Amino acid sequence: MAADVVVWIVWCGAAFACIASALGVVSFSNPFFSALALIGNLASLAVLYLLLGGEFVAAAQVLVYGGAVMVMFLFVIAYLGEQAREAPWAGGPSWQAVGTVLAAGAILGEVLVALALTTGGRLRHEAHVGRSFGSPAQIGHLFLTDHLLAFEVTSIVLLVAAVGGVVLGSHARALEDDART
Amino acid sequence: MTAANAAAWVCLALPLAATGSIALAGTRLSRRGAGYVSTLTTFGSFAAALVAFARLLAEPAGARASTSTSWTWLAAGPYRFGLTLLTDQLSVTMMLVVAGVGALIIAYSLGYMEGADEERRYFAYMSLFVFSMLLLVQAGSLLLLLAGWGMVGLSSYLLIGFHQERPAAIAAAKKAFVMNAVGDATMALALFLLVEQTGRLDDAGVFAAAPHGGTVANLVALGLLGGAVAKSAQIPLHTWLPDAMEGPTPVSALIHAATMVTAGVYLIVRLHPLFENAYLVEDLAAGLGAATLVMAGLIALVQTDIKRVIAYSTMSQIGYMFVGAASRAYPNGIFHLVTHAFFKALLFLAAGIAIHALSGEQDIRRMRGIGRTMPHTRRAFLVGSLALVGIPPFAGFFSKDSILAATIDRGAFGAVLLACGLLGTFLTGLYAFRLYFVVFGGEGDARPHLHGRAEGPPSMVSTVTVLAGLSAVGGFLQLAPVWTPLTTWLAPVAPPFAEPSGAHEAIASAAAVALGLAGIAVAYRLYAVAGARVPRPWAVLEHKLYWDELYDLLLARPADRLARGLGRFVEQLLVAGSIGEVARGFQLGGAEVSRMQNGLVRAYALALAGGVAVLALVFLSTR
Amino acid sequence: MHGPDVLWYLVLAAILFVTGALGVLVRRSPLIILLSVEIMLNGANLALISFARRSGHADGQVFAIAVMAVAASEVVVGLGLIVAMGRRRLQLDVDTLRTLRG
Repeated sequence: MAADVVVWIVWCGAAFACIASALGVVSFSNPFFSALALIGNLASLAVLYLLLGGEFVAAAQVLVYGGAVMVMFLFVIAYLGEQAREAPWAGGPSWQAVGTVLAAGAILGEVLVALALTTGGRLRHEAHVGRSFGSPAQIGHLFLTDHLLAFEVTSIVLLVAAVGGVVLGSHARALEDDART
Repeated sequence: MTAANAAAWVCLALPLAATGSIALAGTRLSRRGAGYVSTLTTFGSFAAALVAFARLLAEPAGARASTSTSWTWLAAGPYRFGLTLLTDQLSVTMMLVVAGVGALIIAYSLGYMEGADEERRYFAYMSLFVFSMLLLVQAGSLLLLLAGWGMVGLSSYLLIGFHQERPAAIAAAKKAFVMNAVGDATMALALFLLVEQTGRLDDAGVFAAAPHGGTVANLVALGLLGGAVAKSAQIPLHTWLPDAMEGPTPVSALIHAATMVTAGVYLIVRLHPLFENAYLVEDLAAGLGAATLVMAGLIALVQTDIKRVIAYSTMSQIGYMFVGAASRAYPNGIFHLVTHAFFKALLFLAAGIAIHALSGEQDIRRMRGIGRTMPHTRRAFLVGSLALVGIPPFAGFFSKDSILAATIDRGAFGAVLLACGLLGTFLTGLYAFRLYFVVFGGEGDARPHLHGRAEGPPSMVSTVTVLAGLSAVGGFLQLAPVWTPLTTWLAPVAPPFAEPSGAHEAIASAAAVALGLAGIAVAYRLYAVAGARVPRPWAVLEHKLYWDELYDLLLARPADRLARGLGRFVEQLLVAGSIGEVARGFQLGGAEVSRMQNGLVRAYALALAGGVAVLALVFLSTR
Repeated sequence: MHGPDVLWYLVLAAILFVTGALGVLVRRSPLIILLSVEIMLNGANLALISFARRSGHADGQVFAIAVMAVAASEVVVGLGLIVAMGRRRLQLDVDTLRTLRG
């Protein structure tokens, strides 16, 4: 019983942090603060993954997302400096704001309705899982047997991104050289 | 397929092969060569027709008809249409006439058309015509008959307009084609009705299943009559035939005397069950025939072009055939068709020798006097004219009088027909011998060019001689009521309504011959005796009873004005304008829609989100 | 150990997703938009992992790892673009970058 309470408390804390940091990302005008809020979001999500039995995914989340992607974000924000900050908060056509609220609210409402409709029993009972659920061995096994194609395609996607990054970077350098001379 | 059927297929295929090979060989084939190809294949067709005839004679009388289908064109549900040939007594008779007279005339053309620039085209067209006509007479299904009907009209158009550099020829060809198209349309409508009523178009089936009496039967017969009237140049669709004389003389002989224009008579005889279902239309046909034969005879009295006189004579004689066929004297009508083919072709070809010798002169006033230097042609023309008038023992006597006899039994209407027929006989004597005396008798200045000692090339002279012989003896094919092999032969296919009695035949013959001789005598008095005063013809007759002017006023001018009006209002404003408006509408719409592409990424993203929301709603609601 | 039902995780994932969508639609800086897209992807990941737990098969986690890899690649390219725009001294405002128009 005590374990349940602990789990509940952890869950509530992580959920609250998750939502708060998400709102923070979209609200801060300083992009640096937005990136930091995203890091917080990622951390709280890692906790939630652990609660769901996905140890490997939680670790990957922290390492890949937090360790690589967010670092890259922070580098770019630092590089851009004042340019990044100057972007205004919001604006544009008036119907944009109204439409946004409507669309987003509609999607949220529909998803909640869908979830409510299924609580006839389908989402209540979790399956019994063993200790090896979510372990790296199981994930690796799945990647190399059932989802081999996804594995390979993802590696190609990563390659493409790497090439694209290099191309974008070199182009910009060439243009800058032209601009300077 | 019996041996007769096989012979019929060969008969049909040979002219088609000739046309095809002449057309494909092009300039590799010499002009003379093309002529020989055409002539020999047509003689081959005649031989095949003889074979078919012999095979049919070997069969018992009741079992002579046979059909053979080589290819089913359309098999859909209950409908079966195909390339079906019918080989029976009537079709073999027509095959013999078409192929035989056709072969003679094409042989004649070897001499007549020599030196013309486009001989190959001419012979290809002539073979095409022979093929089409054979298809028409051998057709075992009404659909195939209509196909042959149309092709014959096409060949006629091509051959009338053969001298393409002459605008008059082109206009005449168009006129013939348009008037025939009217007939084709009515025939097609009749066939639609038949298919709707009976579901089939093969001869045997449709006769059994066609309705007896009633509106549909009358409409069908009327439609078929329309086609017959157009093709045979009877009132009211007759004005194209005189103009069709713009074509070369052998064309006039073959198409517009011996074979194509008689297709209407053949139609009535072949489809007689359909006509017998609608006696009102039969009476109409007889009436039109009688009216035409009198009118054409009157107009022929005043024509000055030799070919036009013979053309109106053709119109008049076909009127006789219509009277005969519509009076259900089918063997008599066919008999006159056969003899008419002989002597009318003879008249045209003999006239052709004269025209050829005079280098194209066709005005009879300028042809006077050639009788002296062209005695052979004169004799041939005399034989033909006597056959035409119906003086025994020449061919026309036997055939025409039997038609007249058949009308005696038909009550008051028959009396009117008989009166017209007898008047026509008088007029025939008058105009035929007016022509003979003016052209071949008497003094004149015409100086023909002769070929050495002969009057024309050997091909022309020999065929004219053969036809003269046929006109002289061809009548002995049937001497009613004593000797009737033709009636017996055709009876299983086209039985006559009633055989006129011997007394009626005698009365009719006597009256007709007497009137014919009276006509000749008057002509002699007016034209042969030197210094006789020729009465001035009525202007009405000279203008061919103003038929052409009437049609121009009723049809040609309103059609022209309608076309112009449509062009200005409907075409420019509605059709072209509406296309422009549609284009403008699209342009405006596109401009409006393109305002949505404002380049704002956020607006695009909003559109995406909105779309997702709507789709989720749809999915939720259909659960 | 029993915690909240999978249902709650899914509700949370939905809220994350919509929050990220709001960010994409409302903000004008491409950097912030990219961050909001990351939030949306994370919301989807959370839903995937929840379903994996619910069904007992770890396929959802495999899917989530693949999503992470793709998200990383996308961020590389996106940031590369932003850096290129910065070098060219373009205004980093999505509303003014509107040459993609009809």
